[in-house]
Amino acid sequence: MTMKRTLYSFLYLLSFILYPVAYAHHSGAMFDGSTVVEVSGVVREFQYTNPHSWLLVDVTNADGSVTTWGFEAEGPSTLMRAGIRKGDLPPGTPISIRGNPMKDGRSAGAWIDAVVAGETINPRNGFAVIPAAE
Amino acid sequence: MPVSRYIVAVSLLLLFAMTPGLLVAQEAPGWLEKDENWAVKKVRLQAFGEQFNTAWDLYQFLEQAADGGETLSWQQMDEAAYDWSGIFTRTGGGLSFDPDIRGNVTTAQLTPAGAAARQRKIDQLAATGGEYDPISDCRPPGYPRWATEPFLHEFIVTPNQTWLVNEMVNDVRRVYTDGSAHTLPEDAYASANGDTIGFWTDGMLVTHTMYLYSGQYQRGTQPDYSDQVEVVERWKKVDGNTLEADYWVFDPVNLAEPWYTRQSWTELANDDNFLRIRYWDCQENQNNDIIITDEGTSQFPDFDFIENDAAVSTDEAVKNIPR
Repeated sequence: MTMKRTLYSFLYLLSFILYPVAYAHHSGAMFDGSTVVEVSGVVREFQYTNPHSWLLVDVTNADGSVTTWGFEAEGPSTLMRAGIRKGDLPPGTPISIRGNPMKDGRSAGAWIDAVVAGETINPRNGFAVIPAAE
Repeated sequence: MPVSRYIVAVSLLLLFAMTPGLLVAQEAPGWLEKDENWAVKKVRLQAFGEQFNTAWDLYQFLEQAADGGETLSWQQMDEAAYDWSGIFTRTGGGLSFDPDIRGNVTTAQLTPAGAAARQRKIDQLAATGGEYDPISDCRPPGYPRWATEPFLHEFIVTPNQTWLVNEMVNDVRRVYTDGSAHTLPEDAYASANGDTIGFWTDGMLVTHTMYLYSGQYQRGTQPDYSDQVEVVERWKKVDGNTLEADYWVFDPVNLAEPWYTRQSWTELANDDNFLRIRYWDCQENQNNDIIITDEGTSQFPDFDFIENDAAVSTDEAVKNIPR
């Protein structure tokens, strides 16, 4: 598993060479690509859907209130290519996640990467082209 | 030279000049492998396309050169040339129609109208930092943009039809290789993927597509195409996991010359057979709704994980949505 994660981390870097950053289905105009937000919480729901998947994370604030953040990634097939399956992130899973936030102040962003149980997962790895054996 | 002979000679020249596709001295180039000499080969393939006034002229020339093409049988379907099975994705090139070139440039030779249309896109991006893509609500990307879409693909060859499947919006192009002609002009109507016929020759699938909607080769600074666009493709499986296709795009509105590109798709590793073409529906998740703003950019109107988007968002496009 760790070796697989290492491979995916390498492919994460490769993906920026091979493909432009995400948003292949709609313009990324609503996200602030120059800013990165990082939150920690627990998975509320993994909406594993086309054309985009959304990972909802409940974050407990200093005053004890909870804010739900939504992080957008590509759809299931791209996530599968990144090694991220629906069953990997069940509700309640502790997670630290980074994304480019919305420009309009809502608690949402474009998912960059996340740390789960000490391992980094990168949804954008799914754009790396790993050929089948000939 | 007697006057009568002179008249005959001039008449013959005029006859050939008025018969598109016949005034071509150069033979149809066979398949040119993409290697370290690709730049030179690409110039040759571009020049070959420029000898024709229309995509149909080019297609007819290739069809005549192939003696009408070959009839395939079901017994041939497991031969390497016709076994296109597997899950593929675009090999590279990002969202650039010409995968050889990246960034805010194009290899298309644009007409003034084509250049102006592209400049409007560039100006929109400069002014607003964003844009709106019609495919955001699952409308089809259309063709020839189809070639640039980056998700999963399947390619299914049968003797009489080849299906070219794009996972995105459940998008299937059908190539009729059973000898069918195009839909008659009086019965034809435009559509996202148009009407495609083709033939096989020497392990290559040659196609002609017409009756298309206007569209854009991609978002960003990629050019537009008109509803007069027509395309000739020449597909070939070049090794065990790579499909390539020559594309000659003709568009009298936006292109001063046909635009030649070499497109490519790679079969993906799929050892656990988990990658499959699955249904694609923009309506299944509210969080994937996209609206166009007054500035012509894109916005999420209403997340299901935020109780009152209008109260939180600073974007007037979100605040002004009737609820």
